[in-house]
Amino acid sequence: MRIATLLVACTAFALASCASSPPPCEGPQSRNLSAAVDHVKGALANGCAAHFDRFYDDLLRTAEGDPKPENKRVFSEFLVWSADEGILSQRQAKEYYNRYFNVKFMTLASDYNNCSHTCPRRDRVLLDMERELSDKERGLLRVSQDDTGYYRADRLYKEMELVLEATCTACAAGR
Amino acid sequence: MERCIPRRTAAAALCMFALVATGIATANNTSPTIRLFPTTVVEDLRQTSSVAQEMETGLQEVIGRLDQQQQLYLESKCDGAEDDAGCQRLAKQIGATYLDMLGIMEERLPDMEHTVNNTRLSLEKRLRSELGNKMTSWTLQETLLGGNPPKDASAPSPSLRGRSGMRLSERFKQYYKLVASSSSNSDQSLAVLASDIYLDMDETSTLIARTREEIARATLIEQLNQSFGTITPEMMEIVGGVKSILFGDETSNVVIAGPPPGSVEQAYRSPLEQ
Repeated sequence: MRIATLLVACTAFALASCASSPPPCEGPQSRNLSAAVDHVKGALANGCAAHFDRFYDDLLRTAEGDPKPENKRVFSEFLVWSADEGILSQRQAKEYYNRYFNVKFMTLASDYNNCSHTCPRRDRVLLDMERELSDKERGLLRVSQDDTGYYRADRLYKEMELVLEATCTACAAGR
Repeated sequence: MERCIPRRTAAAALCMFALVATGIATANNTSPTIRLFPTTVVEDLRQTSSVAQEMETGLQEVIGRLDQQQQLYLESKCDGAEDDAGCQRLAKQIGATYLDMLGIMEERLPDMEHTVNNTRLSLEKRLRSELGNKMTSWTLQETLLGGNPPKDASAPSPSLRGRSGMRLSERFKQYYKLVASSSSNSDQSLAVLASDIYLDMDETSTLIARTREEIARATLIEQLNQSFGTITPEMMEIVGGVKSILFGDETSNVVIAGPPPGSVEQAYRSPLEQ
């Protein structure tokens, strides 16, 4: 009798656990960006905030299927919403937006001078810039059709490489 | 040996002189600019330009003479007939002109080395101070981007390293166009050009030192060859190298098609944009 009671209790507990388990957090199925954004917003509001990176990638992929300049605005509004909802901090929202949709490189954010901070880790900085350039290719070129923006970012990367080489050589010579 | 002469120095220095003159004029009616080119740097550049031009002119003349002599040597079917007295005389003449060329280089290079080093050191100091110590990587990026995005994607942009191999005068013409057409030349191109010139001068300085050592050796060998009246492959190689530096390498002038023109519809600015 005791065993039977225990079994019933365990079953009831298991069922209760199922009822409160997290939602499946599925990505958007729609090929329409607005619909996909709505789906993701719903999922994020329902406890799937931990999957933000994956959702953002899904949205980029959806937008790549229908590239147009207006997509920039859609992503910006989505990120502003995410910050307002407390899913992202303002800083994170800016990072997500600028990394993909702005010419400027977030990798270069720094509070210290180039001789003391950038030059000692120049290779790393340039490698990070290269990675960010590939994200910009996706955001600017493949999602927003902003060719000019992407090619300016590409040129900025090359100019930065040259100027850092010269500046760091000059810094090293002064030591 | 192919890289023994500062291939871009004359044009670069002239360009920088003109550019800096424009930059100074511009600075008078715009906001404060980064001070990469004080008058000392301008003077160094002017001097480098003049020394490099002198060397270029001297070498062009002697190389022209070498070309004619070599042509005559080939037309006289001297290749393979080295024992012929006439051919030996021609070979000696070529050798003598070759020695003249080495002589001009030997004579001009110390001046060149001196002015190049002065320019390099002046630029080094300015780069370290203005871009290295006074800027973060973020402000440097903003400087390169400039206050306003370029309105025209095909607008002239600063020439970057590696675009060598073209005739010096042609390169200078391109630099000049850049300077002349950018009446509002800003910090962004000045920073890139200063970096370009500095790295060029740095490399040039090393190469001049090496070249001076090589000239002594090449001169000795040619003086010995004068006794035998032969044209060595090394001699032709060196002349070829100097020619390609002065007159440019045809293969490097091939231009690769640029990217398609960008979309002009870029009015949207996100509130998240930095």
